[in-house]
Amino acid sequence: MTTPESRPGADDLAPLVYAELRRLAGGYMRRERPGQTLQATALVHEAYLRLAGPGRPWTDRRHFVGIAARAMRQILVERARARGADKRWGALQRVSLRESLAGADMPEEGLPALDEALRRLEAFDPEQARIIELRFFAGLTVEEAAEALGISPATLKRRWSLARAWLYRELTAGSS
Amino acid sequence: MTHAERDRVRTLFEALVDLPPGDIRERLDATSEPAAVKDEVLSLLEHHARAGSFLEAPASAAGLEHELAAGTRLDRYTVIREIGRGGMGRVYLAIDERLGRQVCLKAVREELADPAFRGRLEHEARTAAALSHPGICAVYALEEFGGRPYIVTEFIDGRTLRNEIDDAPRAAAALVYDTLRQLAAAVAAAHARGITHRDLKPDNVMRTAEGRLKVLDFGLARVEAVEGMAPGVRHTLPGVLVGTPGYMAPEQIEGGPIDARTDVFALGVLAYEFAAGVHPFAAATPLATAARVLGDERPSLGGARGDLPAGLVAVVDRCLARHPAQRFASAGAIAAALEEGEAGVSAAPRRPLVWWRVHQLALIAIYATGTAAAWRVHAWEASAAARWAFLLVGMLAAVNGVVRGHLLFTERAHPERLAGERGRSRTAALMFDLAIAVALAADASLISGGQPVVAALVIGLAAGLATAAILIEPATSSATIGVP
Repeated sequence: MTTPESRPGADDLAPLVYAELRRLAGGYMRRERPGQTLQATALVHEAYLRLAGPGRPWTDRRHFVGIAARAMRQILVERARARGADKRWGALQRVSLRESLAGADMPEEGLPALDEALRRLEAFDPEQARIIELRFFAGLTVEEAAEALGISPATLKRRWSLARAWLYRELTAGSS
Repeated sequence: MTHAERDRVRTLFEALVDLPPGDIRERLDATSEPAAVKDEVLSLLEHHARAGSFLEAPASAAGLEHELAAGTRLDRYTVIREIGRGGMGRVYLAIDERLGRQVCLKAVREELADPAFRGRLEHEARTAAALSHPGICAVYALEEFGGRPYIVTEFIDGRTLRNEIDDAPRAAAALVYDTLRQLAAAVAAAHARGITHRDLKPDNVMRTAEGRLKVLDFGLARVEAVEGMAPGVRHTLPGVLVGTPGYMAPEQIEGGPIDARTDVFALGVLAYEFAAGVHPFAAATPLATAARVLGDERPSLGGARGDLPAGLVAVVDRCLARHPAQRFASAGAIAAALEEGEAGVSAAPRRPLVWWRVHQLALIAIYATGTAAAWRVHAWEASAAARWAFLLVGMLAAVNGVVRGHLLFTERAHPERLAGERGRSRTAALMFDLAIAVALAADASLISGGQPVVAALVIGLAAGLATAAILIEPATSSATIGVP
């Protein structure tokens, strides 16, 4: 498999990307106009611009984006756990789950559960988990995510559908 | 389900997902896959159809902030409204009910609030609270409400220098001077106590309605910076992520040691941007800006603002030096340099201006004599050339005479503006002086046959004027008012 993470040395830099994204999540807002939503994709882009300085070992953007997407997942899930989202998710009415997941934005309460489902998916198909990280956690478009994984946009789109269907089933299992 | 079966499920799903629902069942029945694989594919396709826009909207990082509604009461503070967002979280205007004054309440983002971070925050807040200077936003307290730390600071009602640059790029010379002087004095107070800011930029400086500058977030950049570094990373790449691109000194970008001279660099960038309306290392991307900061080519404020006093330009240029050793040692040294060069920069000149005044008066006398001579030549010759020469000399002499008078008046009434006024009129005055000299020389050639003595005198006048314009005036002006 040719995920960006598999390149030698890339994982050594993950703490750097992780730290920078965490910091930017706050620092970015300083330059944002109030009222704008802070998008994960903007953070990833900014982190890249800042870390790809002279002497930095980023060979290409693709290499970077994979690590950044994983870091974003970690940051957002950690954050949700810290706020006790797990408990609220558990208390959610299972009946309304299908509607709420299929319709609106993913609620923060669901992130820890999504993360656990992703781990199960990762266990037998790591590429699908990467796709979710790139598309959902880093906010990349189909084309950008396809480029980052080195597959065609059409292929990425079908695998994205599969991963989404699988996760949706996992998260709604047991609800009527 | 085996690994091979998983692969078959994936292949089959991908082959069927884009087909119309009616065809799916048909195609699936036609395959010879085991029932378990078929069932799994069907189940997934079904969930795919139901999933709607599940996960389609990217995760928003906005959940990283938190909000306080207006009217929220936190012990002695009542929130009035949100006034901004800083690196640590939202910033609110609040009322300290006990003391009846307005304060600024800075919420610290929850995920930053681990015990180690709190320790640093407390330490830095204490350091910043020890700074008492009218040019530094005062830290009143460090509070904790609902398990979340808040920093309470002076509330400053004003506009940031960023607002001012956006609204009115290219500030007047006196304002540039005053802005840098106030900033240097405030930062110098911190440097004197061994405290560096590390994130000086136009967004971090506010001007009150009374015109007083206030530097915000002293000490806090460092808390944030340390927080942002993963352990170990900090060790190998000290300082590399500290600061805002564009205001980071070369050694900051390179991860080298940081001291007061890092702030000196940022002050230089800030002053340059305030004066010129553009960033000294402006480039298409932050990365390209960083490359210019690290490059050997240094911008000069004189290139962007020819009208500024040479002394002020030299101070700003020195702040922007590539190597810390070439810059001022601290903000205090900037303040001292401005003070020292004050004669040349702005306020009341200390050096004797008598020769400069004599020069201006002599020029006015030469204009009058030249005009009279041209009139005389016109009376003798009565040719078209003589008439044009007279008109030219008369008009330009009148204009330059007024300019000289204006400079003499400025020197008396508004000495702080003299350098600026001289810089503004310099080029035109030089051109007019030379044009008058040329016209007088032409006049002299017209009468060289009939009136050789007068012609020689007029030539002398022309030569004297040209010499004064090209050589003498730049020298006397530089020596006395700081601009050539």
